[in-house]
Amino acid sequence: MSSMTRLKAPMGLLIDRDQPLSFSFDGKQYQGFEGDSIASALAGNERWLLSRSFKYHRPRGPLTMAGQDANTLIQLDKEPNVLADRELAVAGAQVQGQNYNGSLDNDRDAVLGHFSRFMPVGFYYRCFFKPLGAWHRWEGMIRKKAGLGVLDLDFKPEYYDKAYLFHDVVVVGSGPAGLSAALKAAEAGASVLLVEEQPILGGSLTYNRFDLDGKQADALRADLLARVEQHANIEVLTRATCNAWFADNYLPVIQGKRMYKVRAKECIVASGSFEQHVVFRNNDLPGVMMSSAATRLMKHYAVKPGNQAVVLTGNDDGYLSALELLDQGITVAAVVDMRDGPDSEALAASVLARGVQIFNGHTVYEAIPTKGNKHVKAVDIRQITGQGKVADSGETISCDLLCMSAGYMPVYQLLCQAGGQLRYDDSAAEFSLSKLPEHLRIAGSVNGIHTLEAVVADGERAAAEALLALELSTEQPQAVSCERRVNFDWPIFSHPKGKDFVDFDEDLQAKDIVNATRLGYRDVQLVKRFSTVGMGPSQGRHSALPTARLVANSTDRTVTETGVTTARPPFSPEKLAHVAGRIFDPYRRTAMHHRHLEMGAKMMPAGNWQRPAFYGNPDDRDALMQAEAEHVRNKVGVIDVSTLGGIELRGPDSAEFMNRIFTFAFLKQPVGRTRYAVLTNEHGVVIDDGVSCRLADEHFYVTATTSGVERVYREMMKWNAQWRLDVDITNVTSAFAAVNLAGPDARKVLEKLATDVDLSPEGFPYLAYREGSVAGIPSRLLRVGFVGELGYEIHVPARFGEALWDALQEAGKEFDLRPFGVETQRLLRLEKGHVIVSQDTDGMSHPGELSLEWAVSRKKPFFVGRRSVDIVMAQPQTRKLVGFTLPADTKKPEEGHLVLQGEDISGNVTSCEYSSAVGSIIGLAYVGIQQAEVGSQFPIRVDGGDIVNATVVDLPFFDPDNQRQAL
Amino acid sequence: MSATSPESLSKRSFVYRQLAGASFRDIAGGAMATGVAEGNNNRSQAEQSALLDLSVLPRTGFRGLTAAAHLQAAGLPIPARPNQASVTGSGELVLRLSQKEFWLLGALSDSGAGVDALNQRGLPAADCYSLYCQDSHAWLALTGAHLPATLAKVCGVDLREASFPLGSIAQTSVARVNVVIVHHQLAGVPCFSILCDSAAAEYLWESLLDAMGEFGGEVIGSNALL
Amino acid sequence: MKIMPCPLNGPRNISEFVHGGEVRDMPNPTTCTDREWAEYVFYSDNQAGIVTEWWLHAASGYWFIAERHTVTDEIIRTYDPSEIFNQRVEFSDETTAKEVGA
Repeated sequence: MSSMTRLKAPMGLLIDRDQPLSFSFDGKQYQGFEGDSIASALAGNERWLLSRSFKYHRPRGPLTMAGQDANTLIQLDKEPNVLADRELAVAGAQVQGQNYNGSLDNDRDAVLGHFSRFMPVGFYYRCFFKPLGAWHRWEGMIRKKAGLGVLDLDFKPEYYDKAYLFHDVVVVGSGPAGLSAALKAAEAGASVLLVEEQPILGGSLTYNRFDLDGKQADALRADLLARVEQHANIEVLTRATCNAWFADNYLPVIQGKRMYKVRAKECIVASGSFEQHVVFRNNDLPGVMMSSAATRLMKHYAVKPGNQAVVLTGNDDGYLSALELLDQGITVAAVVDMRDGPDSEALAASVLARGVQIFNGHTVYEAIPTKGNKHVKAVDIRQITGQGKVADSGETISCDLLCMSAGYMPVYQLLCQAGGQLRYDDSAAEFSLSKLPEHLRIAGSVNGIHTLEAVVADGERAAAEALLALELSTEQPQAVSCERRVNFDWPIFSHPKGKDFVDFDEDLQAKDIVNATRLGYRDVQLVKRFSTVGMGPSQGRHSALPTARLVANSTDRTVTETGVTTARPPFSPEKLAHVAGRIFDPYRRTAMHHRHLEMGAKMMPAGNWQRPAFYGNPDDRDALMQAEAEHVRNKVGVIDVSTLGGIELRGPDSAEFMNRIFTFAFLKQPVGRTRYAVLTNEHGVVIDDGVSCRLADEHFYVTATTSGVERVYREMMKWNAQWRLDVDITNVTSAFAAVNLAGPDARKVLEKLATDVDLSPEGFPYLAYREGSVAGIPSRLLRVGFVGELGYEIHVPARFGEALWDALQEAGKEFDLRPFGVETQRLLRLEKGHVIVSQDTDGMSHPGELSLEWAVSRKKPFFVGRRSVDIVMAQPQTRKLVGFTLPADTKKPEEGHLVLQGEDISGNVTSCEYSSAVGSIIGLAYVGIQQAEVGSQFPIRVDGGDIVNATVVDLPFFDPDNQRQAL
Repeated sequence: MSATSPESLSKRSFVYRQLAGASFRDIAGGAMATGVAEGNNNRSQAEQSALLDLSVLPRTGFRGLTAAAHLQAAGLPIPARPNQASVTGSGELVLRLSQKEFWLLGALSDSGAGVDALNQRGLPAADCYSLYCQDSHAWLALTGAHLPATLAKVCGVDLREASFPLGSIAQTSVARVNVVIVHHQLAGVPCFSILCDSAAAEYLWESLLDAMGEFGGEVIGSNALL
Repeated sequence: MKIMPCPLNGPRNISEFVHGGEVRDMPNPTTCTDREWAEYVFYSDNQAGIVTEWWLHAASGYWFIAERHTVTDEIIRTYDPSEIFNQRVEFSDETTAKEVGA
C-alpha cells in the first residue's frame, strides 16, 4: 500500500523501489523500501507522530529529515535514542517510540501534563543549587522521567575500531562548494578526502531547488559527481560524520563502527547551513517542518510530505519550495512571506500563476492542531505590524503541511571548535566566521555565500588557497562575494498562550528565555545553563539563534553584542564504543612467562609487566606465600627478576656519570664488584634504587626498579644532553632475562650449571660480580642479598631466558628447587628491612628519612639532588621510616593505614605482613620523629577504626647480623 | 634430518608460541618457522597480507662517533641521513637511527651470515659501542599490498608510499608500543619490518594480526618467500 | 591532536612525546644560597608567551628543545640541545664551578 503513495522517479534518490521491506513501529507493521530511513518509511505510510517531547509530552514528527533534531528519537530493539531520520529501515526491525506513559498515540502524561508542572524553567539549576538537599528529593522522579530510551543490559560488546587516514586536503561536506573544492584540489594533484554525512554526495543539490525550472541542481550535481567519482585522487566517505576539529587538522570521522582519525594538511569545511524555524504558537506540531525537510522527503524518499501545504518564508527559497511541492502534485494553499515581498518578482509571478495565494508582510501566528495535538490542520495567518507583533485578527487556512524557511544558520560547530568566531550582522541578519586557524578554510553557505554559482566559485577559491599553501599551485585565489540575503531578522511571534517553541528538545518557549533574562541572566551562556536551552540532542542547531535574538532584545542589545552559544565536540552524539573501540593496552611478558603459567603461577601486573605473585590457587595466597618464603629460607628458590630495569653505561666518562647521577661514590668502585645505587631527584627525594656492577673500567651495568627504569633512563639521557660527558647510555631492560636463585642450597644448584666460574665463597664473595656460562648460556652473575639468603642473580640475553629457567629447574630437582613469586619476595625483603622505592617511599622521602645516609657520599662535589639533600638534612627531621612488630594475633594493618600521634596523623604504614620466620606481624611505617626510638610504641588505626599499638624495632627483623646472605 | 623445534634450541624467538604446529629450521641457533600449520604457505599470501617472525635472524647495532666508520670499513653502505635504510649486496639492511646509531639486520638468504661477519670484526678504539638489538627487540615482518592501510589502524604516522618510500624508517609507536619500522622488500614483496620491545612481542603480534584481519592477512613461514 | 616537529623524526603526534619541563639555568649548587636553590627547584615561570622546553621523543629516546607559545599553542622552533649545550659541564668543590647551561 505504501508504494501507492510514493511519488514517481526521479523523486526518491535514496530508495530502491525493487526492494520493499517491512518492520514494526510501536507494534504495527509498516512497509518501506531499501534505502528508507525509519522516519521516511513511516512518513510514506502517513505516520507522522514519531515521539513525545521531553517535558510536555507533546506529539512530535519530522522537523529536519536530516538527523539534526531530537523529534525523531526512537528506540531500537537494543539501542535507545536513535535518530529515525538517519537510521536505515531494516526488514523485520522492531522499533518503539520513547518517553511516553501508555502508548505513543495516547500518552497519559501529555493529557495530564503533570510532569511539566514540576519543571519550571531553571528547575535543574535551582534544585542542584539550593535549598541544600533539594536534589535528593527530586532525584528519584527525575531519573524515572528524564531517561528517554531503555538500555539492553544483556548487550554484548561489538567490534568497533579506529584507523588513521592521511590526506593533503580533507573536505567536510559534499554540497556544491565541497564538490567543487575537492575537484579543484584533486585536479592539481592533492590527495583529497571528501566526507559526507548523507548516503549520497551532493548536499543541497540532492534536495534543494535553485531555479525556476528546477533543473539546475540536477545538472550541476550530475556533472560534478561524474568528475569526482572517476578521480583517482579523491577518496569519498559517505554516511560519515566529521564530529570535531582538533589542533592541526586532526578530525574524528565516524563511519559505521569505525572512527577514522583523519589528519590533513589542509581542511576545507563546506558544511552548509541549517534551515531555521519560525517561532509561533504550536510550531512543533507534526506536519510543521522545515521547507528543506519537505523537499528532502520528496527528493530523497519520494514521500509526499502532505496534501495541502502552506509555506511560511523569510526568503525566496520558500517560493522555490512551493514550486517543488506544486510539481509533485501537492496543493499549495498559500505562501506567507514575512518580508514585504520577494526579491525575485519572476518567482512570485510563477507561484501566483499556479494559483497560489501570496501573503506579503504576514506570518503564521498559530498552527491549529487536530485533536490531541496530533497534526496541524490549519494555520492562523496575521499581518505583521511590528517586530514580533501581529494584527488582532487574520485569516485561517486549512492545511496538513506547513513548511518553514526563516533563514539559515551556518553549520559553524567545527569552526568554533577550531577557535573561529561567529559574528552576526544585525542589519543584514547575516553571519560570518572569522579568526580561523591556518590551514582551515570554509566555503559555500557556511561562508555566507548563497547563490549556486557563487557557492561553486567559493569552493574553488578555498581549494586554490589550500593548493597555494600546499605549494601545488601558484594560482592566486579569487575572492567571492554574494549579495543575496536569506535571513529574516525577527521570525519570532510570541503568543500569550505560549507553546511557541524556541527549543524543541527541551520544550522551551519564547517566554522561558525572556524570563531567564528577567531573573538577571544576561549572558547567553548563562541563559543556556539556567534554562537548558541548546543542551538537548540538537545542541542549539535551531534554538541558538532565536535565543540570542530574544536575549538581545530583552536586554536592549544586539545579537552582535550578545553573541551566540558556542559548540563543543562532538558535533553529533557519538557512542562510547566509538571512543573506546579497539583500545590498545600493551602488556609485557618476560621470556619465562609461559613457564610460570605452566607451573600454576597467579600473575599480577607490575607496571605493564606481568609477574608471578606466587604459585598456586589464589585462594590460598597467605599459606602459599609463607610456604614459598620458608622454602627459600630453608632450601632454595628461584624468582624471575627479568622485569628489573637494566641500564648500561660505557665510555671514558661512565664512572664520572655514575658519580653525578647516584648518591654513592662510584669513581673507585672496583671492577668485579657491585654497589648499592640510590637516585634522588633535584628535590632530594629518593626516586629509584638499584645495583651498580662495574664490568670494566669504562663499563657499568646498573639495575633499576621495574617501574622506575624508564624514568631513570630518560633522566640520564636528559642530564647528559646538558653535561656532554663522553658516555654511552643504553636501556637494556628487555635485552636481559634474569632470575634470582636464593637459599642455603643456591650454590649447589648453580655449581651444576656454571662450570667455568669459581663459586666458592672466596672466589665469588657476597657483592661480587662475575661473568661466565650457565648451562652454556653467557651470563652475568651478581651475588646479592635482597631476600637475605645466599643468592645469585643470573642475567642472560633475553632469547636464552626460557632455556635458563628450564636448565635451573632441571638442575634444582635434587635440591627441591621451587619457584617463588613477587609477593613472597616482598615478604622476604621485608624481613630484611629492605626498602622498596615507591612502596616504602613517597614524594617527600629523602635519604635521611630512610636511614640511607650510608649510601650518600658527601665527599664528592655534585650529584643530582645533592644541594637539596644538604638543605633538608640540615633541618630538624620530622618523620622516619621505622620497622615495627605486632603480636601475630593482632588485627593486621594494611599499607596506607595511619600512624597517630595524639590527635594528629604522624605517618602511615608502607609495608606489613605476617612473617613466620620472625613469628609476628612485621612492617615498615613512617612515624613522627619522636616516635622513632627503638622499643617505643606507636598507635596505628586499622580497618574499622580500631587502634593497634606497634613496637619500634631494629632492622632487619631477621638474621640481624646478615650472616646468611654472606655464606 | 630430525625436526627442529623451538624448545630444542636454547635461543628462542619471543613469539615462538604463536607459531605452534609450524615447521622450523635452525637459523643461528634459533628456530625459524618455515611453514605454518594452517594457512597459505605461499607467495601470494605474502603479496596480499602476511606476518612473519624473523626474531631469530641475526642482527646487531653500533652507536658512537666511529660507528659509521666501523660499518664502512666492513664494506657496508651507510645511509646518508637518520631514519633511512640501505640494502647491502647480499640483502642485509643497514638502518641509520640517528647521526651515530646504526643497526644491521641479517639477510634471510644466508641466515644472517653477514651480521656474524661484522660481529667478528674488532671495534674501533674509541666511541663505538655495540647494541643489544638481538635481545632487546623482536623482529616481525609485515608484508603485502595493504601495508599502509594496515598500519594506519595501529600507528599515527603516514606510511603511504608518497611520504614513506622504500628505504624509509619510522621510529614511532604501534599499538602503543615503541617500534622501529623499516620499509623494504623481502624477496621482492613489499615489507614493513617492525622491530619492537621483545617483551611486548606477543602483544604486538596479536595486535598486528587483528589489524590485518580485514585484508585477509595470515601468518606465514619463511618458505612462502622462497 | 597537536603535531610536534621533532628535529630527528619530523612531524609527529604530540602523544609520541614526553614533556621535560622548562630549560633553565642551574645555579651553582655549591655557592648559591638556599633560597636561590629552592627557587630553581620549586619555582616555575609559567609565563604567557614563548617558553623554551625540553621534549623527549619517546620511541627514539631523543631529547630536544622546543620553543612554544603558551598562549597561541604554537610551536615556534625545535632544535637539538647541542645548540645550547655545546660544552662539557664540570662540577667541582671550587666556588667557580661553571653553571649548567650558562
